[in-house]
Amino acid sequence: MSLSRLAFLATLALSSVSMFTLPAAAQVTVKMWSIDGDNGLYTKLAEDFNASQSEVVIESRLLAFDDLVNEALKAFATGQAPDIISLDNPDFALFSSRGAMLDITERVANSDVIDTSVYYEGPLASAMWDGKLYGLPKATNTIALFYNKDLFAKAGITEPPQTWDELLEDARKLNDPANNVYGITFSARAGEEGTFQFLPWVQMGGGSFKEVNTPGAVKALEIWKTLIDEKLASQDVLSQGQWDSTGTFNAGNAAMAISGPWELGRMAADAKFDWGVALLPTETEGGPRSSAMGDFNLGIFANSQHPDEAFKVIEYFASQSDRLFPEFSNIPPRSDVPLPATGDARTDAALKVFQEQLQYAQPRGPHPEWQKISKAIYDAFQAAMTGQMSAKDALDQAQATISGIVG
Amino acid sequence: MSRFFNSLRDGVGFDLVLVGAALLFLLALAGLPLLYNVLMSFQQVDMFTLGTLIRPWAGFTNYVDVVRQPEFWLVARNTLIFVFASMAGQFVIGFSLALFFAQKFPGAATIRGLFLVSWVMPGLVVGAIWSWILAGDFGVLNTILKSLGIIQETVFWKSDPNYSIWAVVIANIWLGTAFNMLLLAVGLAAIPRDLYEAAELDGANAFQRFWTITLPMMRSTIGAVLSLGLIGTLQQFDLFPAITEGGPANTSSVAGYWSWQMSFQLYDFAKGATISVMMFLLVLFASVIYVRSTRHEVRG
Repeated sequence: MSLSRLAFLATLALSSVSMFTLPAAAQVTVKMWSIDGDNGLYTKLAEDFNASQSEVVIESRLLAFDDLVNEALKAFATGQAPDIISLDNPDFALFSSRGAMLDITERVANSDVIDTSVYYEGPLASAMWDGKLYGLPKATNTIALFYNKDLFAKAGITEPPQTWDELLEDARKLNDPANNVYGITFSARAGEEGTFQFLPWVQMGGGSFKEVNTPGAVKALEIWKTLIDEKLASQDVLSQGQWDSTGTFNAGNAAMAISGPWELGRMAADAKFDWGVALLPTETEGGPRSSAMGDFNLGIFANSQHPDEAFKVIEYFASQSDRLFPEFSNIPPRSDVPLPATGDARTDAALKVFQEQLQYAQPRGPHPEWQKISKAIYDAFQAAMTGQMSAKDALDQAQATISGIVG
Repeated sequence: MSRFFNSLRDGVGFDLVLVGAALLFLLALAGLPLLYNVLMSFQQVDMFTLGTLIRPWAGFTNYVDVVRQPEFWLVARNTLIFVFASMAGQFVIGFSLALFFAQKFPGAATIRGLFLVSWVMPGLVVGAIWSWILAGDFGVLNTILKSLGIIQETVFWKSDPNYSIWAVVIANIWLGTAFNMLLLAVGLAAIPRDLYEAAELDGANAFQRFWTITLPMMRSTIGAVLSLGLIGTLQQFDLFPAITEGGPANTSSVAGYWSWQMSFQLYDFAKGATISVMMFLLVLFASVIYVRSTRHEVRG
């Protein structure tokens, strides 16, 4: 503490000296917008970057998640856009596809710091449009299946489910209304979180965001509907987000939960039982795997006055990948950074599974009108799960909407 | 020249300045945004044209597209349910409470004042509280109803398409009742006591007094309360993101929330504007009633 304060004072002193000797023109200010929260990652890395050199200064602005895209759209429309922005990956194509972001393909290829070959495919693909790279993933995450080992043992199940049918069977065995235990919990909320959870099932069922009414996808939705109809999951999964939904798992009120690595810290502290993580079950034994892919991409706005300096900032963020997990509980978007042990055996085992699941994680989109595609998808599974339409009809309707968007 | 300035200080000019200031204020802060919104609903809007005024003309395309959305009729139905059920609930409960507290008993005024707590609370907070109360598995409301034996099975207020819109209606009634009660109580207090005394001497019973004195004397107040209620209910937004987010499957989405969703979640600003223009016609209707009822009030 005293050391870093000393270093800070020293930097302050040095910079004031350099201000005397050199004209301040040497310093370039780069504006960066990102979200608040995220364990203080953006603020800390921006401070460290500013302290590490004297040529470029990051002027960081934190926005609420819900405001980020709206503010960015307004700023871009009025020519007030920042130099760098960190956007949730499905929102990135809204900007990159219209030429609002700077093409950094060449810069990355010539960079000594960034080597795209070590990045996971999914996160990288979310920053691409039309074969060009417009940004770099800041971190990544995905979802997998959490299961309560104690309840599994009690129900006489030895292994986590491998296929959808096994998942349904296990949920039936684990379901215990007398003790307030549901078989499974997940999030089928009417929003991006719901799509985030359902799209992997569509992809495992042979579909994609452009093709959501494949027989496999219909089967997936029928299983989701069965979970609700047979009360194997609370009907409130239709309105709960992942955080609340997994909270019921932690409290022992659900035997399985579908969620992501952001839960690990809370689960290690809250869950009074033994738990494990397994890959998402596939449609058939050994069938194609898939999972969702979350987290943010850093990009440079095309009309930035300081693209070179902004790119240095992106390089700096990439160079700090090894700090992401220990300091900010973010999973690096690349396979060459080992995750250090946390001291909690369950968490360490879970992280290994999540890293394997990441190999199959697919981006949502990228598509400039992703939000409308996403709404078509969550409207469909909600309509089917509430019994307003059959799974097939609901997905056919979603497909009609999506076909109208993707052409 | 000096006469001009004199009239500005004291005369017709002064009146004109006052009227002009008010009109300018209205025009700048309500008129222009309104016109801009109407204009936007006839244009194609995307991120590159967001900051400009002249955009590609779309004609009625946006209107046709909005009506063709699969959820359009569902949202229209929900909006009607939400508006009329909320208004009816707020009004009936608010009026009953106002009549109740109009009786003289110790602490009546204080307790009536306490009711205002629900009205001062921000909608988002009210939404969050009702979201917990209405939760399916561990909600307070379900626990109470179950222990009273009214329901056997858990009712998923927020997630069952048959109840979701009612979940928001219940919260909205709770939020708006105090406001209704307050305005109606003021109206009740303004009715001259001697009218009741005279009616009582003539042998009118409580119901007759209510029907022939209270209601007619409250006509303008009721008109104002109902139209303010309609406007307030159509404007209600906070409860939706806090309780159901319009789900499941849009069964609790109303026009106001849908318009916001179009503009700020799907980034289709033109359609968002289109929906709000459609809503505006409804509010206009309410405003006409409101203006008429207050005009009556001034004359009386």
